[in-house]
Amino acid sequence: MTGTAGARKSQLLRKSGYAYNFNRMVYFNRQAKKAFSVEFVEDHSASYLQRYIKKTEREPGWHFYFNGRDLPTAVRRELEGALG
Amino acid sequence: MTGTRTIEDRLREQYFTLLPDIRRVAEHVEAEVKYGVLPVSHRLSKYEQLVVTSRVKECESAPDALRRRQVFGTFDTDRPTSYSLTDLKDLAGVRILAFPSSRLADINRVLRKRFPSWQADPVVENGRLLAFKYSGYCQASDKVRGEYQIVSTLIGLFWEVEHAAIYKPAPELKGIARDVGVRERISEAYRALGAFEEEFEAQIAQILEVHRRRRRRRRSI
Repeated sequence: MTGTAGARKSQLLRKSGYAYNFNRMVYFNRQAKKAFSVEFVEDHSASYLQRYIKKTEREPGWHFYFNGRDLPTAVRRELEGALG
Repeated sequence: MTGTRTIEDRLREQYFTLLPDIRRVAEHVEAEVKYGVLPVSHRLSKYEQLVVTSRVKECESAPDALRRRQVFGTFDTDRPTSYSLTDLKDLAGVRILAFPSSRLADINRVLRKRFPSWQADPVVENGRLLAFKYSGYCQASDKVRGEYQIVSTLIGLFWEVEHAAIYKPAPELKGIARDVGVRERISEAYRALGAFEEEFEAQIAQILEVHRRRRRRRRSI
């Protein structure tokens, strides 16, 4: 991750109301009910992230974005509890 | 007391089962590295230095390090037995600090001969190599892997200060360093330390060149 790219992502996440949970290493927004894993943020560009930040979700409840396919039920349960 | 053990409880118990192996691996790798770098350390000039240290990962930070490697830093409590501290590559670690940084390649070359089958996992920041890093098994244990890192003195000491000041008292704070904003500041520190090191090395090279010329002149008189 280059310096300027990191700064852009940091600014984008903060401006969009995302806070960082250092224990779970996740960027989350309680209002939008969206969370991005730190690896997801590191591996994708700011414009790619923005697309997901702006995306309107059809399903209610939390939406977790990470580098992988299925989020284990227990992990989802624990995250939902931790993020509120 | 409910009698239900958490994943962390299991891992803490495993830590103490592994501890004799971890210690043996740390001692073994340290001894191999110290012996392996002798061809380099015997040729060092008085302004150059090479320091070898070893450490055993502590009980409280090992389960936390494994947790941080999981998606969203969270263990899957439906699969409590699927986690093992032996997945960590750095339970026993050796660090080689070298100055000037031009010595890193020399040290890497001699140590590759001693650890030919170890897996390389270099530490790279913004395209710049910060440290050579290798991990693998040695004669001391077939359960616990060891790791060694070769890093410039300034960067290595920065990591030690960062660890002692922030993470050692509270290992759970390690996740802070992954925040993109914090990573920016850490990158700036690396850049500043690298620039300082380069400038310092250039000054020393200049001084040495002046000394060499003087010696040559004296000889020719």
